[in-house]
Amino acid sequence: MEAKEQSMQAQEQKQLIMRVAQHRDRQAFGALFKLFSPKIRAFGVQRLGQQGLAMDLLQETMTTVWTKAHLFNADKGAVSTWVFTIMRNQCFDMLRKVQHNREDAFGDDIWPLFEDVESGDGMSDHKMSDKLLENMDKLPPLQRQIVQGVYLQELSQQELAERLGIPIGTVKSRLRLGLEKLRSYLEKHHD
Amino acid sequence: MIKYHPSDALLQAHVAGELPLSMSIAVSAHCEMCQVCQDKVHKMNAAFAQETLEAEACTETDLCEFNFDSMLEDIMSKPTAPQEVTPDAMVEVNGEQYKLPKAFRHQLQDSWSGIGKVNRMRFDTAENKARASLLHIGAGGEIPAHTHKGQEITLLLSGDFCDEYNEYHPGDFIVMSSEHEHSPRTNSGCLCYTVVDAPLYFTKGITKLLNPIGELIY
Repeated sequence: MEAKEQSMQAQEQKQLIMRVAQHRDRQAFGALFKLFSPKIRAFGVQRLGQQGLAMDLLQETMTTVWTKAHLFNADKGAVSTWVFTIMRNQCFDMLRKVQHNREDAFGDDIWPLFEDVESGDGMSDHKMSDKLLENMDKLPPLQRQIVQGVYLQELSQQELAERLGIPIGTVKSRLRLGLEKLRSYLEKHHD
Repeated sequence: MIKYHPSDALLQAHVAGELPLSMSIAVSAHCEMCQVCQDKVHKMNAAFAQETLEAEACTETDLCEFNFDSMLEDIMSKPTAPQEVTPDAMVEVNGEQYKLPKAFRHQLQDSWSGIGKVNRMRFDTAENKARASLLHIGAGGEIPAHTHKGQEITLLLSGDFCDEYNEYHPGDFIVMSSEHEHSPRTNSGCLCYTVVDAPLYFTKGITKLLNPIGELIY
């Protein structure tokens, strides 16, 4: 494969994972699933020797991709490297179970998936936005919809009101409540 | 300055996830201490991932036999996971605290047991032959001359030690085969991680009588 083609692929995959991370985009996730699932299954069959276990590996790996997409850091490497790391770690733990009957999860200690969260005040912008994204999911759905609309999709309050068919006053009050709640989550986290 | 590194073949096997737990811990911990090997592993990881996951476009036939829609639905019904804050791997022995590489995080379950200046914490890796332990030797301590029935890997985590061959520094990854006879000793004390294939054989005078101690120490 040409290097240029590879980097285009990598670029596309990055776009897809960002869409999953920011909007929980189901179509983007479906595309990633289609892209990686045959390879993950093949790796599973080769390492674990059973179709059933290979399917478990696929499900576990892609579940982590879905639930942790917002923690993926494109500065640290390609999407394929990240997915491979998740898969290899999961497979390592599954092999321990098959070979030694051990229910342990050491893979992520041996090959860390993410940089550690720094303790203390030195939270960078990047980590702050990670934290925000992660806490946004804890908001009540109506408030979350507005906060995401304004800050992630960058819609105006008027646009949101029109799209959702609600008065602009309601958009404003939900936004205010949502932001207050987000701030309280983050402050709690700092204590 | 780290002088002893795992071979490229060992790093490659580590990246592929083909090593047993005891060895994976050793290589991972070394890489956390050694920028050179960290960079190498980073590159190997990306290359191996590329090879494994992106060899060619996916063939539709692979997907036909199974209905993936229900799996996809199941996965996408899950909420996002929070970022986990993992605690440091801390260990205390002889009144001293050590911060260890991340690979040790969930391994430090057992207590220390000791003879003289030598303290050991054995890891329960469930591997048949290999014995993995943390070994702490107090200042001025020594381990009687011995050979190994199999291969011995030592990763020096803190302090210093030397044997008939060399002086070692933190981060050094030392591989001894069954031909080597050595008697490691330390001036200021040291903490290391060791993986031994098989029990040690002591070779010198009175310590021959102490052969069973090999099993106790490592």
